[in-house]
Amino acid sequence: MLNSLIAGLTSGGVYALLGLCVVLTYRLVAVVNFAMAATGAVGAYVMVSLIGVGVHGALALAAGVVAGAALSALVGAILVRWFGEHSERTKAAVTVALYVAVMAIGLRVFGSATTGTRRFPAPLDGPAFVLGDVVVPVSTLVSLAFAALITAGVGLLFSRTLLGLRLQALSERPTTAQVVGIAVPRLAMAVWAVIGGLSTLVIVLVAPRLGGDFATLGNLITTALAVAMVGAFRSLPMTLAGGLILGLLEGVAVSLSGLQADRGVVPFLVILVLLWWRSRNEVWDTAHTR
Amino acid sequence: MSGSGSTPGPDPAQSPAPAPATSLDAHVSPDPHHGLDPHIGSDAVLSLDGVGVNRGEAEIVHEVSLEVGPGTVTVVLGSNGAGKTTLMDGIAGVAQVSSGAIRLSGRPIEKLPTYRRARAGLGYVEQSRTVFRTLTVEQNLLVSRSGQGELDRVFTLFPELERRRNLQAGHLSGGEQQMLVLGRALVADPRVMLIDEMSMGLAPVVVRRLMGAVGDLVGLGISVLLIEQFAALALEIGTRAYVLRKGRVVYDGSCAELRRDPELLHESYFGAAPV
Repeated sequence: MLNSLIAGLTSGGVYALLGLCVVLTYRLVAVVNFAMAATGAVGAYVMVSLIGVGVHGALALAAGVVAGAALSALVGAILVRWFGEHSERTKAAVTVALYVAVMAIGLRVFGSATTGTRRFPAPLDGPAFVLGDVVVPVSTLVSLAFAALITAGVGLLFSRTLLGLRLQALSERPTTAQVVGIAVPRLAMAVWAVIGGLSTLVIVLVAPRLGGDFATLGNLITTALAVAMVGAFRSLPMTLAGGLILGLLEGVAVSLSGLQADRGVVPFLVILVLLWWRSRNEVWDTAHTR
Repeated sequence: MSGSGSTPGPDPAQSPAPAPATSLDAHVSPDPHHGLDPHIGSDAVLSLDGVGVNRGEAEIVHEVSLEVGPGTVTVVLGSNGAGKTTLMDGIAGVAQVSSGAIRLSGRPIEKLPTYRRARAGLGYVEQSRTVFRTLTVEQNLLVSRSGQGELDRVFTLFPELERRRNLQAGHLSGGEQQMLVLGRALVADPRVMLIDEMSMGLAPVVVRRLMGAVGDLVGLGISVLLIEQFAALALEIGTRAYVLRKGRVVYDGSCAELRRDPELLHESYFGAAPV
């Protein structure tokens, strides 16, 4: 059981990172980005493909991050250029279409679960320390530290820097942000690129544990959205907590023999429970305003 | 001046709220200029030449030419739907300019994106008190501050903002929010400030305060292009006036002339003298 919980915690850190990417995209450029994990998967596959032809790991990682950032920037450019004045729903629908396109192209280029599973390097799978008789791998600590760093770092960026203030202004009133002299298109593209690079790093971190086929990695968006819902697409600390809880729930599911095969259902259950809970509040509020 | 027939309506000098406009008149400094500024035309800070502006696919503003002289308040009047806000949005780059030329200190700006027009010296106070609600008063000012812009200049103009500098802008009163939007434009160190309906939804005492601040902006050397629902009040502080009807300029002359001749103002608004 403890072993499964530790494994769940590793996943939880990564899920938190995925959720943070979704929340940051939504907060900064007001888009629910369904294509986020797929763009990260493309970056990760560029990395592993380059390693496959003999490129040094660090160089391949850098190239993968750049590829993920560039693809995400392309998604952002499409949204900024042609859908800038459209509603959030339309923008989300556009990212769904782009998700389908990226997945189709990715599966074609990199192969499916049966034809294209790659062996991702796992330099962080060594033991960090032993807890009781359970070995805690370095990857657990790295993913947790990375998630905490992003949460705290973005909080500080928003509150302590001019760039953070401008990002918040962009998020709240994009048109007014331009009126006061903020280069909104450039800033928005930078946000998309950074999120793309970050997504690639997260997918690279989780790929060795999940098997390394393109479809599985691209479909991690379901988990990311479930985690983002815990933070109501707004709160970074709640998103961090949501990721960890989701990871632990998966760990518990794995440790119970009857539920082991169904652990993939956990994100859907979390989404359903949150939707039910929020709609319950709305019904309650509506009843009280009548 | 064109004079196509429209149904005569209420006196535009008093619209949309006659009583407050009249009650405010006595508190506004009279305009020292009674004719057109002789400098306008030769060294206009902002000039429009045959400008058309679109909303979506439809052209709302047609072939508008106007000039804003240095250190003056130029007033744009017109009934609801005349295209005043669309014109301002076109100048600021928020709406698409379909034809014509816009020059800021002689430099064409109509092809520049919105943020570059702002950096070139065009301040825009939009309708609806567009503060960044989650940022504090001070942070609202910091996001738009240019190299030379000083927060102290804003706090001197609006001391009430200094007392609330750490309060979230969403918690300010309507008048304070409007002061903040004016101050935010001021810290960007603009040459021209476009001000669109800043009195909307505010108490007369607050409007009086804000109009005084517009006079202070001119004292700082900033030229102002002003849209104002209280026509009489705007004409008191303005030098030159333009009246828009159906997206076209139907009057171009002095504010003093419109002040003296309410029938002319009415005809400019609606295309017919009052019955």
